[in-house]
Amino acid sequence: MRAYFRFPILFLLPSLAGFLAFNLGPILVSFLLSFVSYDGLEPLTLKTLREHWVGLANYHRLLEDPSFHRAFWNTFLYVGVAVPLEILLALLLALGLNRPWRGVRILRTLYLLPTVTSVVAVGLLWRWVLNPTVGPVNLFLRYLGQQLEGLWHRFGAEAPSWVVWLAREGPGWLADPGWALWGVILASVWAGVGLRMLIFLAGLQNINREYLEAASLDGASSFQRFLYVVLPLLSPTLFLNTLLAMIGGFQVFGLVYTMTGGGPLDSTNVLMLYLYRKAFGTFPFEMGYASAIAWVLFLLLFTLTYLQWVLRRRWVLEEA
Amino acid sequence: MKLWTKLWDAVVFLLLLLGGLTMIVPFLWMVSTSLKAPGTVFDLPVQLWPSELHWENYSRVLTTVPFGRWYLNSLILALGLTLLNLTSGAMAGYAFARFRFRGQALLFLLFLATLMIPVHVLIIPLFILMRNLGWVDTYYALILPGLFDAFAIFLMRQHFLQLPRELEEAAIVDGATPWQIYWKVALPLAAPALATLGTFTFLAGWNSFLWPLIVTNSLEMRPLTVGLAVFQGQFSTEWTVLMAGLTLGTLPPILVFLLAQRYFIQGLTLGSLKG
Repeated sequence: MRAYFRFPILFLLPSLAGFLAFNLGPILVSFLLSFVSYDGLEPLTLKTLREHWVGLANYHRLLEDPSFHRAFWNTFLYVGVAVPLEILLALLLALGLNRPWRGVRILRTLYLLPTVTSVVAVGLLWRWVLNPTVGPVNLFLRYLGQQLEGLWHRFGAEAPSWVVWLAREGPGWLADPGWALWGVILASVWAGVGLRMLIFLAGLQNINREYLEAASLDGASSFQRFLYVVLPLLSPTLFLNTLLAMIGGFQVFGLVYTMTGGGPLDSTNVLMLYLYRKAFGTFPFEMGYASAIAWVLFLLLFTLTYLQWVLRRRWVLEEA
Repeated sequence: MKLWTKLWDAVVFLLLLLGGLTMIVPFLWMVSTSLKAPGTVFDLPVQLWPSELHWENYSRVLTTVPFGRWYLNSLILALGLTLLNLTSGAMAGYAFARFRFRGQALLFLLFLATLMIPVHVLIIPLFILMRNLGWVDTYYALILPGLFDAFAIFLMRQHFLQLPRELEEAAIVDGATPWQIYWKVALPLAAPALATLGTFTFLAGWNSFLWPLIVTNSLEMRPLTVGLAVFQGQFSTEWTVLMAGLTLGTLPPILVFLLAQRYFIQGLTLGSLKG
């Protein structure tokens, strides 16, 4: 019989203290706060909680708050576009980078560089990259537009207005309410695709090569091998990767804070930014209301995770 | 047939290369801007690389804002968090790997369940707690909430479970206490896991934004991320200076990543595949 130690109190003490003081305690307080109207100025005691108890009023208010609705839909739009784009690109990249080529490691490293850069740096950098007049994105788009325009002229025709617009002007990105969220999405896909690629790569390398060889012997083309062998075996990774991307996406904050601050005209205001502003940004602070936002967001993420697990049962091939 | 495969490979390689370029062009743009003369960034046609290198942007960023202090704060935050996390995570991980006690499974499950709790649920009460303790705008508030980290505990437990027990059993026979065995035998063997966790935590600490933004408010206590984000208005017309600041700020995480890439990638994939 193996000897095990008992009485691990000394070993567990730091983590346990941290768990109680900085996790479990705050979760309970956060839940209580969401039923209270609290401006964060007076000390928080049981008496304060009782005196400012408003029941479900914070949650009712959410239903009628147009700024919250805006933030809610912006967040959904952001997640709905950025996540599928990121996952698709990452999957293609992983398939490409999974080849035994020389120098493929260097390429992988390139794709990972934005992953280790802070969101603040990414956000500030991309404000500059998306500059409508001198930013590289619009320089490229203008160049593209001019080439297209030239092509039309060569055939003696007038270029359509969108080509002229692309050649002369291009999107106004972060300054234009219609484009701002797309600018944020562009930056976020650029920054996030490397990590997703890495996770796909780990999944691909777990696939037993014998399956692929067997399929080859049976005469499957490389596309058939991907569709009928790789994809099913990769499905757990695909599910997990999508889930993680969505959870991260719903909590997007730093990128929006640095790129647009939620503007122009609330066009990029997202849930986390709204929460931050209510609790810490604009006076008077509404920490109770912000807590209610936090719990709605939590419920959203929880439902999402639960749904993924239900779907997983039906769609994911589990290897015995 | 053979030719088509080769052609296809070439196309794939070209696309990957193009994508790779897309990844570094913004960084190159950042460095190039940081070396331009302040008044020339909006000149058309755009200069891709400045003909004359203006290093004064780098000295300007050190004098317009307390950049050195922010840098130091980020370093203290990242290193402090790493040290704290490694200490408490390894200890708890060892407890779950090598001890048997009542409620062990339940406690472990409870710890793991916190991975489901997004940080935004915690920040408001945590801020109130920090204020009550008088810790707002101190290093305590920046670092100490990292005392408990379920991911660290999980990672260290996995590693300790994989270690062969013979060395530790020999130490028991020699009459060593659990703490001596942990400190002298098990922990040195866990160096690779500590490196993984350390790299990971250092980068997370250096890049952290939301919590430091909330819990610091004086110019002197901001870490670099918060300083740059909050005071970007100071650079409103000085993109060259801001880009010099960003270049300096992006250097440490990229260096750490390049030096410890193996550990970092291990941590990332482990964290997302099992976490």
